[in-house]
Amino acid sequence: MDIHRISRVEQKKTRRQWRILAVLFFLLCGAMLFALNTGYVKLTPFEVIKTFLGMGTEKQALILFEFRLSRIIVAMLVGAGLAVSGCILQGISRNPLADPGIIGITTGAGLFVIVFVAFYDNVSLIPTYIVPIFAFLGGAITAAVIYVLSYRRHEGLLPTRLILTGVAIAAALNGLMMVLVMRLNPKEFHWVSVWLSGTIWGYEWKHVIVLFPLILLFIVAALWKSKLLDVLSLGDQISTGFGVTLEKERIILLAIAVGLAASSVSVSGGIAFVGLIAPHIARRLIGPYHQYLVPASALIGGIMLVVADTIGRSIIAPSEIQAGIVVAIIGAPYFLYLLSRTKV
Amino acid sequence: MINTKDLRICYDKQVVVEGLNVCIPIGEITALVGSNGSGKSTILKTLSRLMKPSHGHIYIDGKLLHKQSTKQIAKQLAILPQNPTAPQGLTVYELVSFGRFPHQKGMSSLSAKDKEMIFWALEVTGIIEFADRPIEALSGGQRQKAWIAMALVQETKIIFLDEPTTFLDMGHQIEVMNLLQKLNEEEDRTIVMVVHDLNHASRYAHHMVAIKKGQVINTGTPSEVMTSSLLRSVFGIEADIIVDPRSGKPLCLPYALCDANEVQQNHLQVV
Repeated sequence: MDIHRISRVEQKKTRRQWRILAVLFFLLCGAMLFALNTGYVKLTPFEVIKTFLGMGTEKQALILFEFRLSRIIVAMLVGAGLAVSGCILQGISRNPLADPGIIGITTGAGLFVIVFVAFYDNVSLIPTYIVPIFAFLGGAITAAVIYVLSYRRHEGLLPTRLILTGVAIAAALNGLMMVLVMRLNPKEFHWVSVWLSGTIWGYEWKHVIVLFPLILLFIVAALWKSKLLDVLSLGDQISTGFGVTLEKERIILLAIAVGLAASSVSVSGGIAFVGLIAPHIARRLIGPYHQYLVPASALIGGIMLVVADTIGRSIIAPSEIQAGIVVAIIGAPYFLYLLSRTKV
Repeated sequence: MINTKDLRICYDKQVVVEGLNVCIPIGEITALVGSNGSGKSTILKTLSRLMKPSHGHIYIDGKLLHKQSTKQIAKQLAILPQNPTAPQGLTVYELVSFGRFPHQKGMSSLSAKDKEMIFWALEVTGIIEFADRPIEALSGGQRQKAWIAMALVQETKIIFLDEPTTFLDMGHQIEVMNLLQKLNEEEDRTIVMVVHDLNHASRYAHHMVAIKKGQVINTGTPSEVMTSSLLRSVFGIEADIIVDPRSGKPLCLPYALCDANEVQQNHLQVV
């Protein structure tokens, strides 16, 4: 094989990766369009497009812009956030099982939100921008505890230990959460139980305004660090040999992952599996290069959650099944299928 | 020259290496030999700044190693750890391209120079025909060459290798050793490696360092280091040393384990 052939193969591969990203992007647009059509009031794709162009009826505009679009955007952002968070965690821990839900970061974030809710008299009066801050605090503290407990001085961060510590901490936090939930008044209890099952509760435009810049910022940060994530996947010793300041970089990456998970959790509660499955699917489609893996995970996470939320709110309309439950019902068997096909 | 001054290396509170003063010549192949648990890997890791000594200094060309930033060091020395693993699906080309990391900035993609280096390394290690194959699809020897190519594109004068041939069969061992020899002779790279096979060490290295319990027992050319008394004290074996008729290098033919008391005595004699 000569140099020209390798160059050609590499170019072809790059083109293929961009093509996959483009297809995923169109799938996401399609899923969003489908989600806009679906609901209590049925709208045809034609009507949706007409309304977007400002030619629909006032009622159609109201349904689309005030009720559906914002919720769909939130679902997409949450899905993308959780997926990229999982992608980063899997990268730094070199463990395909890492996910913000499994290692307790979402639970930690949720716990802080609940503590906060418990001290607030009226749930509906909670300022939108405060919830992400509390969620981030909770997530960050949990991540810090897991990091400290799974770190060994001469061996660094041990991937298996990280997962086991995370699972144990998630279990402990869940217990703590139950205790707290039992002491809430009925109205708060309802809010929390809906929140815990992973519903998109923050679906107004004000949530989009808070969430969008946060998720975008963190995803761009993850892309910025994509080369570093590639190098980290070769192990601690090689990364150090390449001149990576491991501790510093790992903490930055962990902070990005926590930021993404916490922002998502603050409007959606405990949605599991997206952070686990989306990066797996992305890796199968596009390979282990993080420059492509990160955006592919984000797109797949977005698609998953938009679809899950749409199914959840239409299948037994006018009642709803929480998106988190839909993802779990579809995601768990799919994950088992993936496991049965991998050699590890 | 790479040299150390009164190096003490600890795992947690246990001292593994104490008062190490060792000197490694530039431009040559140096083999660290010693029994399992002698601390040779630890010393290699410390020399390549993967581990921090708790006391003492390391100098490369007279410059203090730990005074330089880790990025600066990455342009002077590359390290290939024992039994490295790559993520599934990563191709040889991609793996080798990662070696350019110390020379790249931020999100920039591979420059023309980066690509040139990668092609050169693939060619010089003889794996260019496998460039688009996933790492896991290669044989052990080819895989090790891919890792060596990755270390090569880092463009460092010095390459550290921790047991580069341990998991390979004999043919692949010789292939890898020949490659390292070629890199030393033709590309002027300084090679420092931990080697298990003494006869390989003697055949390929210009300089040997024999280590026991974190102490340097002897250093020098293979003929100076490979002696019956050293093998007795370092490895606890009785061996005949003969001269390889092809290379003129010493070969060891172990024939028995020696008695524990004798080892102790011999150790004292050598020290």
